[in-house]
Amino acid sequence: MRRYIIRRLLALPMIAAAVSVITFAVLRSPWAGDPAVLLAGQGASTDQIAGIRHTLGLDRPIVVQFGDWIGHLLRGDFGRTFRGQQPVWPEITRRLPITFEIMALAVLFGTFFGVLYGIISAIRQNTWLDYGLRVFAVFGQSIPSFFLLVLLIVLPSLWWHYSPPVGGHKALFAHPWENLRLYVPPTLILAVTHAATLMRLTRSTLLDVLRQDYVRTANAKGLRERSVVMRHALRNALIPIVTITGGLIAELFFGALILEQVFSINGLGQFFFQSVLSRDYPVVQFLVVYTAGVVIVLNLLVDLSYVVLDPRVRYT
Amino acid sequence: MAAATRAAGELAWGGGAWQQPGLLRRAGRMARGHPLGVFGLLMLIGFIVLGLFGPALAPYDPHALRAGAPLGGLSPRHPFGLNNLGQDLFSRVLAGARTTLTISGTAVLIGGSLGSFIGILSGFYGRWVDYLLQRSGEAFAAFPGLILYLMLITAFGRGPKTIVLALAVGGLFGGSRILRAATIVERHTTYVEAARALGCSERRVFFRHVVPNVLPLTVVLISGGLGAAILAESALAFLGLGVAPGTPSWGIDISGANLTFARLGHWNLVVFPGLAISLAVLGANLLGDALRDIWDPRLRGRR
Repeated sequence: MRRYIIRRLLALPMIAAAVSVITFAVLRSPWAGDPAVLLAGQGASTDQIAGIRHTLGLDRPIVVQFGDWIGHLLRGDFGRTFRGQQPVWPEITRRLPITFEIMALAVLFGTFFGVLYGIISAIRQNTWLDYGLRVFAVFGQSIPSFFLLVLLIVLPSLWWHYSPPVGGHKALFAHPWENLRLYVPPTLILAVTHAATLMRLTRSTLLDVLRQDYVRTANAKGLRERSVVMRHALRNALIPIVTITGGLIAELFFGALILEQVFSINGLGQFFFQSVLSRDYPVVQFLVVYTAGVVIVLNLLVDLSYVVLDPRVRYT
Repeated sequence: MAAATRAAGELAWGGGAWQQPGLLRRAGRMARGHPLGVFGLLMLIGFIVLGLFGPALAPYDPHALRAGAPLGGLSPRHPFGLNNLGQDLFSRVLAGARTTLTISGTAVLIGGSLGSFIGILSGFYGRWVDYLLQRSGEAFAAFPGLILYLMLITAFGRGPKTIVLALAVGGLFGGSRILRAATIVERHTTYVEAARALGCSERRVFFRHVVPNVLPLTVVLISGGLGAAILAESALAFLGLGVAPGTPSWGIDISGANLTFARLGHWNLVVFPGLAISLAVLGANLLGDALRDIWDPRLRGRR
């Protein structure tokens, strides 16, 4: 076990290095556009553009640029934005709590409702409740979340002349009520896709598990249904649930971006989006590598959680 | 019922002396077991017809300004109403089918077939080809879904070409992994061993035996990926990263001025394009689920 963890930890920097190389190579490839042209604006002369390229260091050989970037990255210096020459790191830490809260709430709601509905659907298989929940899941996977978020703004104002608050971040601990009023409705909506996917998975896995002999034994010895499902069956259905949740969290980076865009919340997603539009390489590079890093660590945690969830799993 | 047809199908398949039922009859048998899949297929065909003939079917030119009173509500002449420029929304939604289906369809076809090709090669030849492809696949898998697309858009600019490229790259590695696994399983089956023992060349084993048996998975992959591709394409268009503004596109028509006026009560401006996306994705998902079910009976009834 310990050897496995060490091996996985040693592999982490390798994958991280590959990710950084790919990111850098894509952004500096000969087919990529030139951020200096965008920065110079319309009507700039070639000399001006060349000047901007020089100040940004974009005229150096790619290998030198890469070494420079990695060297600073490893020393904890994440560079400055092209536009405005602000240090990247404070811009990110300022917005990180906002995006973190959005993602955390969405994961929480999505996992809770997904697993709950999955359990209900499985133990009431082939009842109207089951059919209803399955229809919800199929539609939930098909309706784009940005459309649902737009509906959240449009429909309440149409029906009840009420629109959910938009924009104006309030810190969670200073103003808990305002904060939750702003974030809970959209994150509930954002969680629908997540919940629908998890529901279908939980239902199918649980149906398999419920047919196992040990579940019959547990029923036969007179345990209450709740105890059979929660303690015996669900525990064994957890592995696929945890695996899929890991992947869904990765997808929520984009979900948070869409939410921030629709609700005008100035979080990491919006910062990322603006930087994509203005080709702000230092920001895009950092955020891509950062999110990829989160995914790599998440995958490791998911793999390690199997040991806790299923004592039969042994890594060597 | 489903089990009975399956058993009959297997009987007809398995016994060499029995005549294999015709393709049409086999398809009909599968269809009966998967009514939802057929429904999805019909929906998709409907959208493809819209994509092909939408502009001709549309009562107005989707670009024409002042096809009626700007922001006019639903009426028999304008069933979905009009936007703030007076463009007929029904015509725009019809024309939008072409935009979305062309982009996501092309991307999925390229990504799915190229990914399958890579996966089969990687699974059949193994060794350094396999090692190289699998490691680079792992690195690409670390980029969370649409963040990868945004990176590619940063580098190569907005526009439909970049979107096709991004979606194709996104589907490439997932597809190659599945095909690789299937090829490895296939390579170790007894009939392949028998073919080898009979002295078949590597090439013959590859093209006559392995490829035809794993290739149906590509169809499963492509139809399964289509729903996700439509979702991604419309989300990127919604953000203004896809086709040029003004082009009839479902994603674009939910954003911008339509969204602004929808907030003021003109709900139809965003609801109809949104429903179009949802129905197209629903059709693709239903078909994809059914095809996966047919391909891999172990997953039967799971989803």
